[in-house]
Amino acid sequence: MTRPERIDWSQLWYPGPKHVFTEAELARAGQDRPSRTLVAVLLANIAIIGSALLQVAPPELTARLTALLVGLTAAGLSQGLALWKRPTRRGLLWRGSGLLLAFWLLYAGMSWRIDDPLQRRWALSVCGAGLFLLNIGLWFVVSFRAHQIESRLRELDEHDRALAMAHQLAAAQIQPHFLFNSLAAVQHWVQVKDDRAAPMLDALTGFLRATLPLFDQRLLRLGDEAEAVQRYLAVMRLRLGDRLREQMQIDPAAAQALIPPGLLLTLVENAIEHGVQPSLGGAELRVNARVDGGRMTLEVSDTGPGLAVGVTGGVGLANSRTRLKQAFGESASLTLQGGTVGGCVARVDIPLTQQQPT
Amino acid sequence: MTALTALIADDEEAPRAQLRTSLARAWPELEVVAECVNGVDAWDAFLEHEPAVCFLDIRMPGLSGIEVARRIDGRVPVVFVTAHGDHALAAFDAGAVDYVLKPVDPERLGQAVARARGRVSQGGAATAQPAAVAELLTRLAAEIGQPARRPATLEVIQAGVGKEVRLIRVDEVIYFESDARYTRVVHEGGEALIRTPLKELLAQLDPQRFWQVHRSVIVNHRHISAAVRVDEGNMHLTLRERPEKLPVSRHFQGMFKGQ
Repeated sequence: MTRPERIDWSQLWYPGPKHVFTEAELARAGQDRPSRTLVAVLLANIAIIGSALLQVAPPELTARLTALLVGLTAAGLSQGLALWKRPTRRGLLWRGSGLLLAFWLLYAGMSWRIDDPLQRRWALSVCGAGLFLLNIGLWFVVSFRAHQIESRLRELDEHDRALAMAHQLAAAQIQPHFLFNSLAAVQHWVQVKDDRAAPMLDALTGFLRATLPLFDQRLLRLGDEAEAVQRYLAVMRLRLGDRLREQMQIDPAAAQALIPPGLLLTLVENAIEHGVQPSLGGAELRVNARVDGGRMTLEVSDTGPGLAVGVTGGVGLANSRTRLKQAFGESASLTLQGGTVGGCVARVDIPLTQQQPT
Repeated sequence: MTALTALIADDEEAPRAQLRTSLARAWPELEVVAECVNGVDAWDAFLEHEPAVCFLDIRMPGLSGIEVARRIDGRVPVVFVTAHGDHALAAFDAGAVDYVLKPVDPERLGQAVARARGRVSQGGAATAQPAAVAELLTRLAAEIGQPARRPATLEVIQAGVGKEVRLIRVDEVIYFESDARYTRVVHEGGEALIRTPLKELLAQLDPQRFWQVHRSVIVNHRHISAAVRVDEGNMHLTLRERPEKLPVSRHFQGMFKGQ
């Protein structure tokens, strides 16, 4: 991470921001106009400097100088505004080159029919200084504006991520398709008076009762969450029949370990959804939790299709990782590993904490 | 006139049974000719029975309902029956592909049935715009999520020959053919029989390289030398290195049309 910063020599002959914002980025973060305060202060400064200049300049030049100042200010404002809307170094370069050309025209205008060498020197320095300041001003506009848009885009991105996270947390509690698929089974069994209707409703009710309060807590005992998971498995057993073969072993010490709510449930749901359900002949699900040396290891494995190369988990796992990090910092981990002949293991490793569930 | 036949596929028993009973009420003259428990069976049954309409769950083992619909490719109307109320589904309203949400609402099923019936009587889904449908299917797959975990494409086939187990590189396979309860693997070094059914192999092969040309034949396209039209309905393939001819069934003849 601590690479020495490289000097970007291109800034010497081609100054300005390297990044070119896309139309979408500009529409998202670059639609505001410069603040009125900024423009007013700038104009006031130009007026003060201008009037001071007129005091000391040879009186013969007053009219021309005033025209020059007004012209330069108008040009600066319009060009500055264009760069404000689209802060690119290409735009800056074109305007800079244009100003260089304008210098000779302005100087010619200022010194037209003036023979006094002192006055000519005045004209030369005022034109030069004015254009130099204008260039610096435009460069400042481009740099400032590019930074402003960049940081605003970053802010918006972070805001979006936080929103998505909140949304996922709310949605992670109960998967709608789980609910609807289960209700579809209930609906059918009730219609045809199948005996499985009543146990299915019991299991589903038990699951909802056990799961909904889980998420009010910051941390909870693994054992408590395992209860909710048992209810979930009861529903899935009824739906999947012998396609689901499961085995859960949680050591008593591990059952006392504190975990972020929903962690085990998410892992089990993933194993069923991506491991058991996609397997042509069903698959085995195994939950194992044990304590060793002040740490708790939780493994949820299945014998379903393996893991595609490069997959580290979807939204559910990313969510779980974030919550683990919030609860335990860097000392907890969640890894997903595909087996060589199919199958997949999700492994959580967390420190045992003394914290009481709240 | 095609007989009014239907295929239904759902990996769970209850919704499958429910769909069957609801369909019996909503569309009495429809005959369900195949009930499948996964996508692999659904595609195979489609080729076997050539139903007039298909009702497919989206999440299924083997091939997803989306993948099956892609293969059906607008030839007959497809109705997805799914618990995923995703907004990408809404795009399918009234197209060659329709959808019904689970648990099934009889009224909505009635609408889907009326539309499918209309399409069937127009002669399949001839008015479909396959390109647009294919694009929608791709989008739906992205929204609902292709299974994040899926069997990797097959690299090596293990075939028992007498006392030894031969390892055949999939690259070297010329074609697969189903043969009673086995699958015959014809490769550059000879032939072998394996127990994996052809329809299950299909889901593990790279579709770019291995083309299904018949319900019982999958061929490595690099080994095809020509497609020969025999008469109106019949076509066969000749191979570069082997004398036998492979049949191309009606569904797949469109793959060979010259450029």
